[in-house]
Amino acid sequence: MQARTTFEGQTWLHRVRAGLKLAVTLAVVLFTVMLPRRPHLAALVPLSFLLIVWLSARPPLRLMLKRLLVAEFFILGLALLTVFNPAAAPLVAAALIKSNLCVIALLLLTWSTPFLEILHVLRRLGLPEVMLSTLALMVRYLPVLREESRRMQRARASRTFSSGRRLAWRSLGNIIGQLFVRSADRAERIYLAMCARGWK
Amino acid sequence: MRAAVEIKELSYRFPGRPTPALDRLSFRVEPGECVAILGPNGAGKSTLLLHLNGLLPEKFGDAPQLWIDGEPVTPANLAQIRRKVGLLFQDPEDQLISATVFEDVAFGPCQLGIDGPSLESLVKDCLERVGLPGFEAREPHRLSHGEKRRVCLAGVLACEPAVLVLDEPTSDLDPRGRREFKALLQRLPGAKLMATHDLELAVDLCPRSLILDGGKLVAQGDTLQLLADEKLMLAHGLERPHSLLHRHPHGPAYQLHRL
Amino acid sequence: MHLPDGFLDARTALLSTGAAAAGITLAVRRVKASLTPRQIPLLGLSAAFVFAAQMVNFPVAGGTSGHLIGGVLASILLGPSAAIIVITCVLMVQCLMFADGGLLALGANLFNMAIASVCGGYFIYTILRRLLRGDPLRAAVCAAAFAGWCGTVLASICCAGQLALSGTVSWSLAFPAMANIHMLIGAGEGLATGLIVLAVLKSRPELVAGFAEKPMESRGTVVSYGLLLCLGLAVFVAPFACPWPDGLERVAESLGVSSKAAAPLVTTPLANYTFPAFTSATVATAVAGALGTLIAFIAAYGLARALVPALKSSKADAGKNHV
Repeated sequence: MQARTTFEGQTWLHRVRAGLKLAVTLAVVLFTVMLPRRPHLAALVPLSFLLIVWLSARPPLRLMLKRLLVAEFFILGLALLTVFNPAAAPLVAAALIKSNLCVIALLLLTWSTPFLEILHVLRRLGLPEVMLSTLALMVRYLPVLREESRRMQRARASRTFSSGRRLAWRSLGNIIGQLFVRSADRAERIYLAMCARGWK
Repeated sequence: MRAAVEIKELSYRFPGRPTPALDRLSFRVEPGECVAILGPNGAGKSTLLLHLNGLLPEKFGDAPQLWIDGEPVTPANLAQIRRKVGLLFQDPEDQLISATVFEDVAFGPCQLGIDGPSLESLVKDCLERVGLPGFEAREPHRLSHGEKRRVCLAGVLACEPAVLVLDEPTSDLDPRGRREFKALLQRLPGAKLMATHDLELAVDLCPRSLILDGGKLVAQGDTLQLLADEKLMLAHGLERPHSLLHRHPHGPAYQLHRL
Repeated sequence: MHLPDGFLDARTALLSTGAAAAGITLAVRRVKASLTPRQIPLLGLSAAFVFAAQMVNFPVAGGTSGHLIGGVLASILLGPSAAIIVITCVLMVQCLMFADGGLLALGANLFNMAIASVCGGYFIYTILRRLLRGDPLRAAVCAAAFAGWCGTVLASICCAGQLALSGTVSWSLAFPAMANIHMLIGAGEGLATGLIVLAVLKSRPELVAGFAEKPMESRGTVVSYGLLLCLGLAVFVAPFACPWPDGLERVAESLGVSSKAAAPLVTTPLANYTFPAFTSATVATAVAGALGTLIAFIAAYGLARALVPALKSSKADAGKNHV
């Protein structure tokens, strides 16, 4: 009953089994993390591996750079912490290299693997049922709730005539509170719908 | 002959509310019959539908008040009742819980222990019946509203219900979606019970209607006759559909013309 | 606060993963034992809710904006066990779907945000809510705001401990930096948590775990979460927080790690060389921390006082702000 999602722009990397990709990513990350704490030639191993995968799969550069940038903020923040100590320079350089390699590995995994396939892997790995069902429902309802929250924020904005920060926080608090109430109500309806189809 | 649905003196009150949501309801639906349940918002339509599937009440009384296909609805045979009654919820988002269309249509049959190739062919068959062949791998949040509703219907049909219970089946659909969904429902066999504000739907599909207000059954009978009774309609938050004015020049609507 | 890979060494990452796994296993057991089938969809929807809530931007100063983390909020709304599962799922999806946070560092992120922040915040919330007399709504808002702040700071301290244990950044550098930044971030988190809890309590108090008739978490569970939290703090933080100069080495040895491996490569010029400087830095940090905590509490109390009576007296005003 494993229905694979298919869509335009699939590469060979998309067709590799999710479990294998997850294992390889973990191995690459582990190898990279265990490299010495100074820039080291061994970093070329994961680098060349990732480069080959990257060049043959050709992920959309823009999307990947955008996500890489998000990850880079934390990396730079930490690097700033140590910037006043000249002795730390090699360490920071090593950390930068390591974390960028790991982020690229993870980006390649998430770009080429729909979460559903990862969910199937997690199921085979024996993740508890309650977590699997939570993950599945979460991924299904995330777009619904995001849209609901967007609608509520739009409705708020259409009736907001002042730009006070205090009022904004209050009403955002209300929106999120209301979002929880609606989610709980929806959970109740989902429970009924599941029962109606013979659940439990 | 055994009735598809039989209800005797059904009452229900939500905990903590002063007035009953359902007040001594009694009616029958014959096998193969298509019945509309009309009434204003808050009349108890959805509450009634949840009872048909044993989702309400939370605690059952001693004597059954509901029979589906001759079987009383009791805690002991809820599984059987839920198999016989297919319930289509008002908001497809609530019913489409799985990540792919395939898994969602398969949800009911999986609970019944069907799997393997027979499950796959069943899902394929159900999707074809609702006019969505080849939609197995699609993700629910990428479907249009009408498609979502059809997938829900496929999921219900996959359990092979004897009675189909529909809550507002045409709400939120555009005119074409409504027309297509109506045609789809018309082709389905078995008894159908639908709560709706879409009076055109009631006219086209349901020869008989029930009117509910304040939890009480205030009128029942031939749909066209009920809808033509303007006083009755207005008293219960409804109005006569415009199509009646043109469709039956010699029927009950003829009198409306003169008004 | 999502740690990417490359900053923690494999040992710390595995240690954190073990600690996180213990907490999550406990939470799964508790949830299986206590949750009715009716509540199972609520877990999934709550996870989606936390994720969606994180996407709402709160305006901060000068055109920048921040967002909610939501761990403490989830623990207040759902109870700690359910909240651990919910936040765990959120972090897993963020890592495996959006590449946010490292793969090997997932365990550390889980420990900091799904366990330390959730459990710590929940303790503070429950204890404070009982201690505060008067209007229960006001007590809940004050407790929620303060717990939101504490949960954030606690998670950042654990994170600093993990960084120091990995030898990436020295504790004397990582701790004040992380704690100071997160004392500010925590202020936003606390304020948002208080406002959201207030909004839910006003419209549907029965949805909040432990507020209406819903049963609270059993004592045994609370104690075991407490133990786990202490264990985590002992491993990640205590070696550095202790003022004796050999504290780090001793713990490192007892963990089977050579002191050389655990000794950080990056240190502040003074901290580890002269003992008095180290102590005074520790004392200064402790004083600053205590002061920050006091200010946060007073602010939370002031917030609750400002919000609750005002809303009670004018329902119409509350309705106006509603959505």
